[in-house]
Amino acid sequence: MKRLRIGIFKLTSCDGCQLSLLNLEERLLEMFKFYDIVHFKEGTDRTVKGSFDIAIIEGSITTDRQKEEVFNIREQARKVITIGACATSGGIQALRNWASLGEFKSYVYPSVETIESLSVSIPVNEHIYVDYELWGCPVSTEAIEEVLVAFILEKRPALPLYSLCMECKKKAIPCILVSSGQPCLGPVTKAGCGALCTHFRRPCYGCFGPKEGANINSLAGIFEGLDIPERDFIKLLDKMNSYAYRKARIEGIHE
Amino acid sequence: MSRRRVIKRDYISRIEGEAGFVVELKEGIPVGVRINVWEAPRFFEAFLRGRTPQEAIDFTARICGICPVAYQITAALAFEKIFHIEVPEPIKDLRRLFYLGEWIESHSLHIFLLHGPDFFDLPDAWSSKDYLEILKKGLWFKRIGNSILNIIGGRSIHPVSVRIGGFYSLPQKRELLRLVPEIERAFEESLRVIRWTAGLSFKDIKKEHEFVSLKGVDEYPLIYGPVISSSGLEVSMEEFITIIKEFQRPYSSALFSMISNFREDIPYLVGPLSRVNINHQFLPDEIKGLIKGLGIEFPLKDINMSIIARAIEISYAFYESMRLIKGYEEPDRASVDYEPSSGKATWITEAPRGILIHSYEVDEGGIIKEARLVPPTSQNLYHMERMLQELVKDYASESRHDTLKRDCERLIRAYDPCISCSVHLVAV
Repeated sequence: MKRLRIGIFKLTSCDGCQLSLLNLEERLLEMFKFYDIVHFKEGTDRTVKGSFDIAIIEGSITTDRQKEEVFNIREQARKVITIGACATSGGIQALRNWASLGEFKSYVYPSVETIESLSVSIPVNEHIYVDYELWGCPVSTEAIEEVLVAFILEKRPALPLYSLCMECKKKAIPCILVSSGQPCLGPVTKAGCGALCTHFRRPCYGCFGPKEGANINSLAGIFEGLDIPERDFIKLLDKMNSYAYRKARIEGIHE
Repeated sequence: MSRRRVIKRDYISRIEGEAGFVVELKEGIPVGVRINVWEAPRFFEAFLRGRTPQEAIDFTARICGICPVAYQITAALAFEKIFHIEVPEPIKDLRRLFYLGEWIESHSLHIFLLHGPDFFDLPDAWSSKDYLEILKKGLWFKRIGNSILNIIGGRSIHPVSVRIGGFYSLPQKRELLRLVPEIERAFEESLRVIRWTAGLSFKDIKKEHEFVSLKGVDEYPLIYGPVISSSGLEVSMEEFITIIKEFQRPYSSALFSMISNFREDIPYLVGPLSRVNINHQFLPDEIKGLIKGLGIEFPLKDINMSIIARAIEISYAFYESMRLIKGYEEPDRASVDYEPSSGKATWITEAPRGILIHSYEVDEGGIIKEARLVPPTSQNLYHMERMLQELVKDYASESRHDTLKRDCERLIRAYDPCISCSVHLVAV
């Protein structure tokens, strides 16, 4: 069997999602039988010219150069898969979207003239067509494995579409929102982490982004009953998937 | 006409993040050296304002997927200092174990996957069958580090368990004990890895350096201790942040830093090489004996020998993990209660790549007013440029262009730069 050509690209990010891929560890060696890594700066000096069967993108687009880069990737790739909150939702750096870039720049850097940055960080799929998105901050190694295997078998990856609540139920974790009144984003958040936070007895803080069709305003109402006013509710949404939660909330209102 | 020559690489591979370098030579002498950090800024310090201490723990982890625990623990300690919280010993030990898990994971990644291939002239860790056994060993070590992180933190990248005053919940002793037999085997293997790294071939580029690390008090330093340097500086964490001076380069989205009360213009080095040079007396006898037997003498002065320092630290981390797991007694409570109060504080810990500094100022409700983060890599950038200059000066006449370029790239890689981290720093 001819090995599939895979390229792995990094934009603005923490590298954690690429590390999730490397966390396949010994199983990574199995993947090499099916995949030929033709571009992966973090892992290899080798870059082979030509198109990709699959291009994996980590990170968000926050400079003009990166915009050009993803246009090029799209042209050369049969399938584009984005991984992680930065790529699927703009990441934590999307918090600039609701602030003044100039003020942010001058808070961090003594001289701002040479600091190149776009004023918003938005999902890669708002710049180019993306075939498949893997959410999470970070994405789970299991999800990456599922996608890589599904692609070899030419089937659609089987990843959960339901909310985090289902994972709590499956693991018989008592509901942290209902039983202890903690502000848990689980009801509006995609499953995929394995209910980590609730297992550790803390409320979900939204690493996996909004579940499709989530009724975020309804949750805001419940939180209000817990003495969490609107401005604090927004802060709960404004983390690694801030852009996606805010967008989903507005879409929910107009439905 | 003078002869000009440029050695450059736009995008250095096998490092974390995006950076390149340029060395300009005139008549064979390096006249301009630049580490170009073109990783885009993310403005962490700016959006931390108005947020809670817990959000600082969760947010700053997102600066680096390879060393999130270092960020989480450093943030927690800084706020605990502001709120006058003293965590009980078992929690301290558990945090130390957690932190060591990250050292194992990060160092294994660097030794075996990123840096190792350089010593065999390979483009990566997976293209050659001859390297396969080495790679497998690295993946095994890395998996053990990740197991420690998973048990204590839920996952190895951006774990979820750290909170102000302790943890959200604690692992059971039996979960940790299950790791011991494998860690024991890994420790034995790690001694062979030290031997292997010591036997690699190094170009002899010994230089004098200003090594900076935390000072071990009665153990190898991770989370506590004053800051010490090889030339005799010894200051508290609070004082250290007042004497480092940051400066901006037009070609870099990371700020550079130097110590302002040294003789003018002295770059300093943080990371495993500095730590082991300053604190090797705290290593256990098994490791000390081996080091002596191999003829390794401290201080190690060649940056490329950082791989030996990392191997020593992995071995130490396995050894210390076993000790901590065996001695771990589950405390009654996972965290101590506290009342937030206004104030400011600095904390410094030894991230895998060197000292990581967090400074915060909070209001009476504990909400962040100011944040300042100084990651290890931005502290090393200035030193990196200086060493690059030295390397080119020493070898420009005898090395071929491609060899010199390769050696420059390898030198930078030996620092294990974390460029994603480096782009966050605020000048106050």
